[in-house]
Amino acid sequence: MDHAHGRSTGVNQAVAERIPAVASADRETFAALYERTFARVYAYVASLVRDAAAAEDVTAQAYERAYRKRRSYRAQRGTPEAWLFGIARNAALDELRRRRRRARLADDPEDGTGASVHEHAERALRREVVRAGLATLDGPERELIALKFAGSLSNAEIGRVLGISESNVGTRLHRALTKLRKACHVDA
Amino acid sequence: MWMPEDAGPTVQRDLDAVDAALASDAANHDDPTARELQELALALRADAPAPEPGFEERLRAGVEAGFPRRRRFIRARQAGERLKTRGRALPALAVGAGVLLALAVVIALDGAPDRQDGAGGGGSVARERAEGSAGRVPAPAPTDGRAADSRFAPFAAAPATAPGADFEPAERRRKIERSFSLELEVPLEDMTGVADRVTEVTNRNGGFVLSSSVDTGADGGGGDFELRIPSERVRPALRDLAQLAPVVRQTQDGRDVTRRHVTATDRLQAARAERRSLLRRLEDADTDEEAEALRRRLDLVAGEIRGLRAELRDLRLRTDYAAVTVSLLADDGSPATEGGGVGGSFDDAVGDAGDLLLGVLGVVIRALAVALPLGLIALPAWAAARVLRRRRRESALV
Repeated sequence: MDHAHGRSTGVNQAVAERIPAVASADRETFAALYERTFARVYAYVASLVRDAAAAEDVTAQAYERAYRKRRSYRAQRGTPEAWLFGIARNAALDELRRRRRRARLADDPEDGTGASVHEHAERALRREVVRAGLATLDGPERELIALKFAGSLSNAEIGRVLGISESNVGTRLHRALTKLRKACHVDA
Repeated sequence: MWMPEDAGPTVQRDLDAVDAALASDAANHDDPTARELQELALALRADAPAPEPGFEERLRAGVEAGFPRRRRFIRARQAGERLKTRGRALPALAVGAGVLLALAVVIALDGAPDRQDGAGGGGSVARERAEGSAGRVPAPAPTDGRAADSRFAPFAAAPATAPGADFEPAERRRKIERSFSLELEVPLEDMTGVADRVTEVTNRNGGFVLSSSVDTGADGGGGDFELRIPSERVRPALRDLAQLAPVVRQTQDGRDVTRRHVTATDRLQAARAERRSLLRRLEDADTDEEAEALRRRLDLVAGEIRGLRAELRDLRLRTDYAAVTVSLLADDGSPATEGGGVGGSFDDAVGDAGDLLLGVLGVVIRALAVALPLGLIALPAWAAARVLRRRRRESALV
């Protein structure tokens, strides 16, 4: 999986200014945003809904909503990523509420490289330990972890998505990570 | 809220370490705890779910095509969007409904006084007509093409009889004292001609000019006429006068004096009967003293009869003839009034505009007085609903 998602502020700002444009240029700008965020949005949504098929539906729905509402984006209210993740979050939470269940992923989404089949046993074990540790966190903590590590958002962007301050995000994130670290120690 | 031990520096160090690990893809912090968090962060990122390549391609195609609506979903999606739009528009709809309600209340509260005081920009002519509606004079109808102009429809509203001391409900033949006033705007060069025609109209309708004065000076001019016109001819006379020049102001008044008339008539009859009786008694008087007393009494009754006759004559004159005051105002020839346009003078226009603005301002202030409290209630409710909706949505996470 490619995680080289650069979060250059300069690029974000340029996209922010161009999103409200019109017609084909508008579409190209949105396409650029899509290319930059698709994997992260999917990873975040899948972490929340825990179902591959539902994650695909919600991700598609989020992008379509974002595309239709692209003119409502305002640069002063945060980066395009924060705006897009906010939409994805609402779509995912709506899906969760609709289903009212905590489905485990029927099929764990695999890396695009297909390397999981051959991955090292130690890495597989570590992954299981981390997943077990994640299960001990509550919903908001898991979401925070998903936004940070699956969504690769900065603390400021997470604050925008969740409607809390950046420092609050840092405090909550540290608490969640510490809790997860302890849980991993126990599981290990 | 839970806070880690040694919160400030430790938290910041750990968060910085996590960010550094994510940026460099390596866990190499000196502190074991921080390094452990770095490893955890890398593991979490590595374990992030990845999409199937096929899905990514399908969604990319959708993005590039601008998410064309699929026909079979169009109806359902449009219905859903309509509902969503309604949901989003709910606060706006609520505000709109509140404003409409406020306006309705304001109009309901404001309607009666406005009708009474004529507020709302009706202009000076309309106000004067409302003020003058105190008598019961039928409206003369203009006969020429200027009928649509209110200034050429004097006394269009039939004045009502003002109930007062002279009201006599049993009397069929009412005695109404009427008075009218007209202000005509006349070009200075036409002043003399119009003044002559005022007299001509008066004479033609069987009336007479009680007094008149006309000024045709170069620095301005005008004229005033006190006319008496037979009541039955006052309507055509007013119509003719109104056609001489544009009417800029008009008033009318009516007062029922029937009771006074009936009382004076009755008293006159009684006085005459008394005089006849006194005369008969005088013929039969036996002594000089008795005759002298009767003569003194007769003198008193005669005086009373003369006074009552004069009163009745005065009343008859006032009811048989309507008092009409005509004022001729020199037209300064400004464009606003030239040609008898409906705009009036510039001052009138400014005055009317001011009245109109004040009227609108009054309605706005009243509407705000109703809408503001509603808004103060609606705003926290809207904010609370927003928070509630967010919490309900986030409850799916727990």
